[in-house]
Amino acid sequence: MQGEQIEGVARVVAEDGGMVWLEPEPTGSCGGCMSAAICGHKSGSTSRRLAARRFALPNEYALRPGDRVVVGIGERSLLRASLVAYGLPLLGMMGAAITAQVMGAGDGRAVVATLGGLAGGLVAARMAARLLSARGELSPQVLRRAGDECNLD
Amino acid sequence: MKDIVLLIVGAALVNNVVLARFLGLCSFMGVTTKLDTALGMGMATTFVITVSSMADWAIEKFLLVPYDLGYLRTVTFILVIAAAVQFTEMVIRKVSPALFQTLGIYLPLITTNCAVLGVALLLVAGQYNFVESAVFAFASSLGYSLVMAIFAGLRERIALAEVPMLFAGPPIGFVTASLLALAFMGFSGMSTN
Repeated sequence: MQGEQIEGVARVVAEDGGMVWLEPEPTGSCGGCMSAAICGHKSGSTSRRLAARRFALPNEYALRPGDRVVVGIGERSLLRASLVAYGLPLLGMMGAAITAQVMGAGDGRAVVATLGGLAGGLVAARMAARLLSARGELSPQVLRRAGDECNLD
Repeated sequence: MKDIVLLIVGAALVNNVVLARFLGLCSFMGVTTKLDTALGMGMATTFVITVSSMADWAIEKFLLVPYDLGYLRTVTFILVIAAAVQFTEMVIRKVSPALFQTLGIYLPLITTNCAVLGVALLLVAGQYNFVESAVFAFASSLGYSLVMAIFAGLRERIALAEVPMLFAGPPIGFVTASLLALAFMGFSGMSTN
């Protein structure tokens, strides 16, 4: 249905009936940030952020707390999710700002218009996210167990 | 309208934030192994750069300039950028928890790099009004996303090619990046913005 999958690594932190709670391993903007976060130098704020991103999936592989798994989602789904989360609010914001400039508004009015555009974009993003969620495009799947090696890539 | 178009072309292509100003190189090399993740990262960075630049413009105009606090500019901008990043994360979580979780697994939601601060400082140097600042920041980050996408596409092709062992991995990545930078130099002279 979704073609190729984009994979990420998550660790099982709890088991609850037929579900497991997973915590994504940090994705850094570069290898240095990523290895620092994975290999035992987690800062308090990083741990809190990861805890906030916990999610539940059906336990199809008899997983236990501490296990690492590879979770995947369709490439197109990730792109759509990014477009909805970042693209729609940006579009609203920039559309409103440029319209204000073309209409000859001053800085104050342009700021107000931009904030209005941002709010409109966020409302649109919320509705689009609901649609994606209802179509099951925002639900990752457990693909396989991951190795225990420390990823220094 | 013509000014806005020129500003966009100048910021996105002629003075590209990655290949002409050499900012944001960490994510340029680190998150460009797959096209879709590069595009996602580009969009996240575009949002953060645009929002933080707008906030930086307001701080510069209403606080730093009137009270002659220019010496605090870098520190203030770093604080504003950190706040903008937190704001972005909070808003996405509030707008859609499912979206927040999905993006959190595959993309770095915390998208700060030197390009974010660099664009904010360039805005001050350019002395733009609010909308020009927003357009400049947006276009700069569009240029960043464009280069990320092009480079990710090239790296996906290189991954399938037979590269001599000495060049395999990062070396061929750097060679490709330098050729891409040369290609973007072709835009110089189109606009002085």
